[in-house]
Amino acid sequence: MGSPAERRIALLFIAPALLLVAVFRIFPLLWGFVLSFFDSDGMTKLEFVGFGNYVALASDNAFRDSVENTLILIATLPIWVALPMLLAILIHQGVPGGGFFRAVYFFPAVLSSVIIGSIFNMVLRYDGSLNAMLKAVGLVPVDWLGSGSTALYVLFSVQLWSTFGMSLLIFLAGLSTVPTELVEAARLDGAKPMQIWWHVIIPVLRPIIEFVGVVTTIGALTSMFGLIYVLTAGGPGTSTTLPEFLIWLEQGKMNRPGYAAAISMLLFSLMAGLAYVQIRIMSKNANL
Amino acid sequence: MRMTLKAALMLGTLLSGTSAWAQEITVWDWKSSDPLSVPYYQKAKEVFEAAHPGVTINYVMQPHDQYYTLLGTALSSNAGPDMFLMNGGAQAKARFGALLKLDDKVADIKDDLVGWEEFADANGVYAVPLSIQGFVVYYNKKLYTDAGLDAAKPPKTWAELAKVCDAIKAKGAVPCFAMGNKEGFGIEFWFSSIAATSWTLDEQAEFAAGKLKWSSEPVKAILQSWVDANKNGWFPQGANSTAKFMDEYEGFMRGEAANTIGLISDVAHWKQFDEFLGAENDGVFPMPSPTAAADKKEGEPNFPLAGGIGYGINKASANADLAVAFAKVLASPELEQIFFNDAGAVAANAKVDTAGVKSPAAIEILKIMATSGAPMAHANATAKELEEIHRLSQLLLNGETTVDEAVKRMDEVQAEAHK
Repeated sequence: MGSPAERRIALLFIAPALLLVAVFRIFPLLWGFVLSFFDSDGMTKLEFVGFGNYVALASDNAFRDSVENTLILIATLPIWVALPMLLAILIHQGVPGGGFFRAVYFFPAVLSSVIIGSIFNMVLRYDGSLNAMLKAVGLVPVDWLGSGSTALYVLFSVQLWSTFGMSLLIFLAGLSTVPTELVEAARLDGAKPMQIWWHVIIPVLRPIIEFVGVVTTIGALTSMFGLIYVLTAGGPGTSTTLPEFLIWLEQGKMNRPGYAAAISMLLFSLMAGLAYVQIRIMSKNANL
Repeated sequence: MRMTLKAALMLGTLLSGTSAWAQEITVWDWKSSDPLSVPYYQKAKEVFEAAHPGVTINYVMQPHDQYYTLLGTALSSNAGPDMFLMNGGAQAKARFGALLKLDDKVADIKDDLVGWEEFADANGVYAVPLSIQGFVVYYNKKLYTDAGLDAAKPPKTWAELAKVCDAIKAKGAVPCFAMGNKEGFGIEFWFSSIAATSWTLDEQAEFAAGKLKWSSEPVKAILQSWVDANKNGWFPQGANSTAKFMDEYEGFMRGEAANTIGLISDVAHWKQFDEFLGAENDGVFPMPSPTAAADKKEGEPNFPLAGGIGYGINKASANADLAVAFAKVLASPELEQIFFNDAGAVAANAKVDTAGVKSPAAIEILKIMATSGAPMAHANATAKELEEIHRLSQLLLNGETTVDEAVKRMDEVQAEAHK
């Protein structure tokens, strides 16, 4: 702790950042919280309805479906974590062309979701290139984006494709911290590669796995709007509607900012819970 | 250095002084930079600014898919434009609260324009209509001929349409209808096109008021026809993953479907189709219906017609009177003539001369308009009903729900929306 004068100077330095956070983060959040208790058309009507919006959500089919889709998304989390981890281990163990694969895997992470959506729209639409390929080999084409049984999983797969490069880099960084002596010792003791992975490398990577798990979940729940918008528009029915898409729908198309704010608050609560877990993990890892 | 600062200060004072007496009318739309509409908007700006020295028109074009979101945000934060373009019907009606009531201000042009009802309620009128909008079926005459059909005789009854689709299907080259229902717009066009003939005027009014239930026979029959048309192979596979604007229409323009339900103004209309198919191949007919309402005749199909787009004046605008004057310029016969000639918009101003039009499709549309026109049913449904029918229409095409289940759900949404 410095002198009062030093503290004042310190405060002066952090004031701009604090001000920005307060104006652009805290204030909109509080405003959204207040708005969630009102029935508003965004222009002239502003009627206090208490918990009315939250009560209405309980019987809203579209919201219920979006929560179900979110749960399915969370249930697929092991794939989102395991795939980049396995690929990172392979690259780390020196598969031929590892550097090339690392660059290629990371490449989609620099593209905007709208561009990725447009690319996959051309590939996956009914008259797209994937179906043309299926037809060429005598298989039946599938309406990947227009059928309720495939659309959600296709959407997740595209999101996974576009983001796993970042997780892969985090795993590679984590793998560089695995002590080589441990691996060597295991090998000398006669452990097979699978046993080394399972009993040595993965336990050391545990904090990284937890971190990637949390970051991936938050990313998937808050950054899939562009993909949904371009690829499926939330359909067919509500099969690819996630809460963030529903928020946009209620606000932008249905003129119900109060109702949209209520969904936002619930999504925020979920995110806040996950962020709390993330902070716990990161503070635990700080001692490693 | 000091001189430069002084000069900058003087310039600043001069500029701020200028802005104190110069007036700017901010106009929001989604069309003013569209190449086909540019001549119309530029001419309107020139005419108005010449008549009102010191006043400038500032067009701000917004993307259409985000338009109402941006508009809502701007209006709620009191930063809305002086005047803004709107689609008639539900979109306009949802914004009446923010609009200036225009009845006494537009009395002088009231009789010159049609389409006011899409921008009015029981209290009065809230926008000046620019164009007329409607849905007609466009057909590719070459594909009709290829399938052994008489391209000069488009179908007038449902049975004739079924024969056409059977012939197109038998030929096997293209689907009967182009269909894009990714955002659920496909059902809107299908719904209103069939309701125009299968519902009486009373039924249209009852539906708008939320009294004609979705489970009632006239409404249910339309959803059944949607399912049957798909089952009979009239639509292409993959309609749920095809965007209506513009994937469906681009397919039609490439000659990949025999028919499409299109618009008469703005986009996906005769001018655009003429350009791609050739005016000689672009045919038009009003959509027939499986049943004809008691006040209509079988074989004389009606078509949905409504005020297309129009300008409303922000009631919080400090320049409301000037904005009204500019809306009148935009709707004047001289300017609307340019809008019709260049952009192919069927003008709301009845004084526009349409005699010089050469397009056979446009001539046919004007002929149909002279004798028929029904309310646009979907535009009179609530936003909640529309959103739900978008979703259900996709499930109906996929066979993931039945018509009975869909209308039951729609009844609930309708009751909730009209509470």
